[in-house]
Amino acid sequence: MEEAGSPAHGRGGPAGLSGTPGDPAGLSAVRTETIETLTELEDLERVYAQLCAEEADVQRQLETLAGQQSNIETKMLVLQRMGPNLQLIEGDAEQLSGMINFTCSLAENVSSKVRQLDLTKQRLYQAIQRADDILDLKFCTDGVQTAMRNQDYEQAAAHIHRYLSLDQSVIELSRQGGESTAVDASLALLQEAELNLKALVTKRLEEAVATSDLPQVERFFKILPLLGLHEQGLAQFSQYLCSQLACKAEQNLLVASGSDVSERRAPVVYADTLTLLLEGIARIVETHQPIVETYYGPGHLYCLLTHLQRECDAQAQKVVDKFIQQRDYRNKFQVVQGSIMRVGPAEKIEPRELDPVLCEVTLMNSRAELYLRFLRRRIAADFEVIDAAAPESLVSEHQQSLERLLKDCQLSRTMQELIGFYIPMEEYYMRETVNKAVAMDTAEVGQLSSSMVDDVFYIVKKCISRALASGSSDCVCAMINHAISVLETDFREVLVCKLRAGYPASALHDLQRGVSSAVSLMQSSLQHGKIQTLGIESQEQAKSTYLVTLNNVEMCSENISTLKKNLESDCARLFSQGVGSEHAQAKIDSCLSDLVNTSSKFKDLLQEGLQDLNNTAIKPQVKPWITNFLSVSHNIEEGEFSEYEANDPWVQQLVVQLEQLMSEFKASLSPLIYDTLTSLMTSLIAMEMEKTVFKCTFSRLGGLQFDKELRSLVAYLSSVTSWTIRDKFARLTQMATILNLERVSEILDYWGPNSGPLTWRLTPAEVRQVLALRVDFRNEDIKRLRL
Amino acid sequence: IATMEDYDYLFKIVLVGNAGVGKTCLVRRFTQGLFPPGQGATIGVDFMIKTVEIKGMKVKLQIWDTAGQERFRSITQSYYRSANALILTYDITCEDSFRCLPEWLREIEQYANNQVVTILVGNKTDLAERREVPVRRAEEFAEAQSMLYLETSAKESDNVEKLFLDLACELIREAQQNTLDNTDRAPVPGEGKPISYLSCCSVN
Ligand SMILES: Nc1nc2c(ncn2[C@@H]2O[C@H](COP(=O)(O)OP(=O)(O)O)[C@@H](O)[C@H]2O)c(=O)[nH]1
Ligand SMILES: [Mg+2]
Repeated sequence: MEEAGSPAHGRGGPAGLSGTPGDPAGLSAVRTETIETLTELEDLERVYAQLCAEEADVQRQLETLAGQQSNIETKMLVLQRMGPNLQLIEGDAEQLSGMINFTCSLAENVSSKVRQLDLTKQRLYQAIQRADDILDLKFCTDGVQTAMRNQDYEQAAAHIHRYLSLDQSVIELSRQGGESTAVDASLALLQEAELNLKALVTKRLEEAVATSDLPQVERFFKILPLLGLHEQGLAQFSQYLCSQLACKAEQNLLVASGSDVSERRAPVVYADTLTLLLEGIARIVETHQPIVETYYGPGHLYCLLTHLQRECDAQAQKVVDKFIQQRDYRNKFQVVQGSIMRVGPAEKIEPRELDPVLCEVTLMNSRAELYLRFLRRRIAADFEVIDAAAPESLVSEHQQSLERLLKDCQLSRTMQELIGFYIPMEEYYMRETVNKAVAMDTAEVGQLSSSMVDDVFYIVKKCISRALASGSSDCVCAMINHAISVLETDFREVLVCKLRAGYPASALHDLQRGVSSAVSLMQSSLQHGKIQTLGIESQEQAKSTYLVTLNNVEMCSENISTLKKNLESDCARLFSQGVGSEHAQAKIDSCLSDLVNTSSKFKDLLQEGLQDLNNTAIKPQVKPWITNFLSVSHNIEEGEFSEYEANDPWVQQLVVQLEQLMSEFKASLSPLIYDTLTSLMTSLIAMEMEKTVFKCTFSRLGGLQFDKELRSLVAYLSSVTSWTIRDKFARLTQMATILNLERVSEILDYWGPNSGPLTWRLTPAEVRQVLALRVDFRNEDIKRLRL
Repeated sequence: IATMEDYDYLFKIVLVGNAGVGKTCLVRRFTQGLFPPGQGATIGVDFMIKTVEIKGMKVKLQIWDTAGQERFRSITQSYYRSANALILTYDITCEDSFRCLPEWLREIEQYANNQVVTILVGNKTDLAERREVPVRRAEEFAEAQSMLYLETSAKESDNVEKLFLDLACELIREAQQNTLDNTDRAPVPGEGKPISYLSCCSVN
């Protein structure tokens, strides 16, 4: 930086240039011509003085030089004496130079010899190597022949392996060398031996495979990789394994087909047979992987298993074909399909008949899934060993090969087909069995809900669990989807129908209410589009059906939530590991989350049902009881007030009536539903009371009476529900407060800035309206109020 | 598990159509922005989620990509009922995939709910020189079945975004219409109802 940044620095002019000109030593500073031009005395004197000073200076210098003369002479003398010595030195130097030249050429001479020596050594080594190779070749040639003669194929193969690992170029060179004929002969022999050995070992392996001679199979299987025949070795070895597999599988299938139906495992005998097949392959892998790895190296398991899979596919197909035939699987499917589509003759299949076959199919699929996972794990682990040092392209090629093997194998396809048939059959089973449960529904006396809810959820759970047992996430998802459909559509529709039949108005109470009520009942029934023709007994029946249905609906929404929770944990457990397990879980979770919606549909239905019940069964009863309030005068004096106190005119009877009315519901509804119903009733009472009070007139004591009555009512209602009812009665309580005032203006003690913690629910207009109910309050006072 | 606050709307979209017409590629293009090289055929159903924003609303699209092969049919059928929209796909360079459409429509007719929005999609427009199904024919077919129609290229990313966003807009429109209808009829007391798009009315 600095160098580049300051080019001027250090580049100043040379020091010599700055010296003062015209000051050469020993020469006068005053030039002769200058003196000649001088005319002034003053100038002359100055120059004279200067010249004198210069003269003195020169004189001084001359003296110094003269003083040095002797010194210089002495030195000259010394120099003269040194002359002969110098001649001597010159001679010596010449001699030295000669010596150095000589040494130099000598060194060059030596080093070239060393180079030559090096080359020679290298050639010697090559020669030795070649000799070694030729010796090896010779040794191999002899060895192979001897080994072959002795049928020591291992030894022979070792020799060939040695020969094959010789440097081919060296062999080529040797052939060109002096010994060409001998080497050629050896090579020819070896090549011939190689071909012979390959043919022989292959043939012997073939024979061993054909005769299922395991020791011989293993013997020759181990020899083949020495001859560079890895693929062929694996192919032939798997041929042996496959024939073993096929043999065993055929036996197993024969046993299965002939097995007694009364045997314990008979219903799943084909699943068991398939399991034996797949376990057999797993055992082969366990047993033979070490040999393959030892003699063939890692990364060859894929090749072996591709061969084995072909046999597995063929044998599995046979088992499945037999299963389909013996279990009448396809035919069952077609019957089911027919009745789902509602085509063809009304041939129906008993769902119970499907039970075993559905179990067996899911078991088969779960075995296949297990097996395929095993293959994936083993092959991936084997590839991993060689993938560490392999280029990326090869790694991804390995992955793709593995995926293809697993996804495209016939076993996978066959299982997918079986599951494809399974799903509609399971769906049919679920729907039909649910229908049966509905048809056989019974409500035990003393039970809040009826049998079908438990039954339906038992069935749904059973079907989904069976799908889960298949181990296929797609199968589980499909059954969850169908279960949601069955619950949300089929079963919910059943409950909706029952609720739509309605809760019959009570005949008993109608009788009490007398003829006019009976007429109004007739009218209300007509409005509901149904004339009450039921006898008392069937009316009771209809009532209990309605209430049981409400309980059922509530149970459904709860059971759905529980079902979801349980399935979530079941699925998390089942699909917690392996490739793609996260994706499978996400799919299942997504399907399960629809159950939330299903549950709330039942909650909505419950709400609607309760609203209906409130409107049809509670409102018509409660309304007249409240209207009775009007028949009790609240424009009263001291005497009447005390009489009311001794003899309650209204509220006690209302409480008794409510108690009576609700007792039926309390006994028949779940606590939660009953509570909700009470809450609805409470709102209803509050609303009706308010309407009624506005139709009434009050004296001061009448207001007090009303306040007492309201307090009793609120106290009673609070005792029967867990909901807070203060809020619902807030307006009424405030009305009672107003009706209890001494004077109109007293309202201002509670209004506006004086309201304290009280929040008015009444509008100013309503406050005036309530004040006006007091017979003793003057209209002008009320009007004059500033609210 | 998603909470309700994650989004304003949740829609289920199911892709159906013959194997090989490009359903998986359409979904991958839309959800991951790529054209997958040499992936195998779909097994069963595949499932992806993408949340998009439309007019300031978060719309979560749950996309189910189904396998076209017959042996997976019963699995895919189970998804029709709760689907809000179906994307019926064919390959414009494959007459066969177009001729199978009526069969697919029969399935839809049988299993889907009747409020489902169906859109017909002709894929692989980048292979124009190999087109076997003329646009007119497809348009007429779609119109006759009162379906929407769109041509796409998953490879060139043509109309893929549009396909899903248009569909989402249509679904929002219908959902809003639906809630209006519902509130018109009977306001349900008590707790607020979660938005339900398929609310089949309980008392018909
Ligand atoms: N040229 C072209 N090829 C496509 C397009 N979409 C999909 N493909 C190819 O069509 C084949 C099948 O696609 P895929 O998405 O697996 O079809 P799917 O069976 O319907 O899911 C694959 O080879 C894709 O590369 C497209 O838009 N253009
Ligand atoms: Mg696909």
